[in-house]
Amino acid sequence: MKTHIYAIVLSCLISFWTSFAFADYKMIIPQKPGGGTSQWATIIAKYLEPHLGEKIKLVHIPGARDIPGFNKFHNELQFDEKTIMVSHGGNGVSYLTENVDYNYKDYDPIGGMNLTIIIGEKDLDNKIYFAGGSGNIPDVMGLTLYMCGNLNSFSAYEKCYKDNITFVKGMSGSERRLAFNNGELNITRENPAAYKKHAKAANLLFTHGVFDLETGKVGDDKNHPGKSFDKVFTLKWGETPKGDFYDAYLLVKNYRDMLQKALWMSKDNQNTEKVTEALISMLQDPEAVKAINKKVGEYDWFISKELLDAVNYLEERKNPKTKAYLIKWQRNVLGYNAVDK
Amino acid sequence: MIELLLGTLYGLLVGIVPSAGATTGLVVLYSFMYIFPNEYSAIIFIMATVAASTTADTFASVLLGIPGANSAAATIQDGYPLAKRGKAELALSAAITSSTINGLIWGLIVFLALENLSFIYNYIGSIQLWFITLFAFVCVVLVLGKKWYLGVAGIILGVIFAVVGTDPITNASRLTFGWQYLESGFQLMPLIAGVFAIPQIIDGLLGWSAPVQHSQKSYKLLGIYSVWKHLGLSLRGGAIGAIIGFLPGLGGAVSDWISYGHSVNTTKKPKIPFGKGNIRGVIGPEGSNNAQKATSMITTVLFGIPGAPFAAIIMGLLMYLNIELGDPSLFYDSAIFNSMLFGFLGGTILVAIIMFVLLKPICKITKIPMKYFFPALLALLIWASVQYTGGWEDYVIFLFFSIAGYVIHVLKISKPALLLTFILFERFELLSVQLLTRYIL
Repeated sequence: MKTHIYAIVLSCLISFWTSFAFADYKMIIPQKPGGGTSQWATIIAKYLEPHLGEKIKLVHIPGARDIPGFNKFHNELQFDEKTIMVSHGGNGVSYLTENVDYNYKDYDPIGGMNLTIIIGEKDLDNKIYFAGGSGNIPDVMGLTLYMCGNLNSFSAYEKCYKDNITFVKGMSGSERRLAFNNGELNITRENPAAYKKHAKAANLLFTHGVFDLETGKVGDDKNHPGKSFDKVFTLKWGETPKGDFYDAYLLVKNYRDMLQKALWMSKDNQNTEKVTEALISMLQDPEAVKAINKKVGEYDWFISKELLDAVNYLEERKNPKTKAYLIKWQRNVLGYNAVDK
Repeated sequence: MIELLLGTLYGLLVGIVPSAGATTGLVVLYSFMYIFPNEYSAIIFIMATVAASTTADTFASVLLGIPGANSAAATIQDGYPLAKRGKAELALSAAITSSTINGLIWGLIVFLALENLSFIYNYIGSIQLWFITLFAFVCVVLVLGKKWYLGVAGIILGVIFAVVGTDPITNASRLTFGWQYLESGFQLMPLIAGVFAIPQIIDGLLGWSAPVQHSQKSYKLLGIYSVWKHLGLSLRGGAIGAIIGFLPGLGGAVSDWISYGHSVNTTKKPKIPFGKGNIRGVIGPEGSNNAQKATSMITTVLFGIPGAPFAAIIMGLLMYLNIELGDPSLFYDSAIFNSMLFGFLGGTILVAIIMFVLLKPICKITKIPMKYFFPALLALLIWASVQYTGGWEDYVIFLFFSIAGYVIHVLKISKPALLLTFILFERFELLSVQLLTRYIL
């Protein structure tokens, strides 16, 4: 019996050791292997390693709405000083509307890409058929504004949404792409690089635009000038978007897009400077930049303090009224009871 | 050539590990991608790993009664009873032959005609996928057995385990008891390890396993002849696997169980009942799994849309090499497709040769008492089960399913019914939600 117990303990130790024996740094990804952010992190790790001079192991901790991975980093993993957290777009949305443990301001910012999402349409008539999950809240809100214009009450938006938009739940990104191609859906959303690949048959409806830290406004995506949401809306409705609904849309869109591919380490971590310098050095490497841009498109980076400034800017705009509006929209209209648990 | 050999050997190893399968084997490669001298070497290695692991996962299913992967569970139904009757060689030889034939046929079709196959996806939507999943679900009935109530208990448990996680309509937690780790649901590997493997190990250690008969007779050629005799069934199994592989997200388990159902329904008055060691119950499902792997690559390569979980991992691995599947410019680099073809077909052939050579010695594992090899087996099971996050939570879930699995075993609840329901229910629920929200509500 004693031999059997020794054998069981040894089995556990061997399997645990083989999981972590070949790396110095760990990069936590709140997604399954193969997802968009996981692919981005794979590229970053590959090109960061030579500049860092140490190996990086990718650790995937997937879970509902990307929360468990980031929470686990916050509660346990950040205390290992060689752990880097990769935040995903869904983290921003969850952070705004759910009781999560993590808080971007609690960590040392390393760097992140200032991204956007592109919305495309095919044969769009009177009614929108769009699929997604909670990470697509900004897209649904943008589409509602696009279809409805500026309305003066929550219930007016609710009615307009129900009349004009069918939000299909339960579809993965892959299924959504096929459904768009075969006509089951007439709206798709992609990051800029994926848009070129997966939405060849689409007409670009709008991009959410890119946030400019200097002006504090969302401007044009330089890859698609004149197609930012505000411009497209203004062209269609003859006035600029405004009101509570628009403020809520802007807040959730910025939280998702500005922090959707960013790197963090624990506060006052002795390795932060080293990793940040490695990142800066990596971004001077044309081969690395080419590979990253091929994956997500040509967009700027927030490095270190800039990323912190972006977080601070967002935090300042996170007022209770806007947040409550956002939560009400998700609960009452989209049926997501989990928000603001 | 060295990549082919190494990829095949690695795939063979991963396939033999109970419950691991191609997906786990590929996830492990994330840490080692830097060792490949160029992208073509990596592609050959990866494709050989997929082909070899899919053929080799039969070993654990037949010899130990533990699914080598989720897609190998149907093979247990008749493969393991054959092994218990001293005919493991027959089951394995037939399985290898059926897998190899269909792997070669569908591998050739897919990689040679890849560019011309995209039109198929204009005709596939959530309605078609929902009906196919429903059809696969119906196949649960085939594994209920005479004591139907034990099968129904398996279905109920399968549903309970499958609903743990997050409600796809409301995003609310379901049966997670406040534990966030469970919000993305139970993973398949610890469930297979706990429900199928741990009871075998415990019974083996306690000497409670049913005695395994041994035979000096070689069944290697008889296995090949059986496939020849039932060639139509094997090819139809392959066609079922190929069709399911075409459809994104359905996976190997669906194709294997539909093939198994087809084997049962097309056999009139079987001499040996299904579930008791009928060789047709091995030939059908084993015909489907390699074909399914081949056709899963179509959407992956053409559109960058992974056709199955293992294909999503391949996409991520190739991204490391700056190869973006779905990018039309890939078609200008024929070496990529030649590498895929060479890796998949080469791996299929090579693993078949290696497995036939090793068949006799490996079958002798059934003669070795469990106490001599259980530590190694347990280490491999734990390793496969903790590849999800590598955290302590994975160990807790493994322990949970080990205990639950043994209780299920003692109560004689149908394990295949439980597993099949667990695999299909989530998919069926999601497709139902899609149908409801797109067409009905």
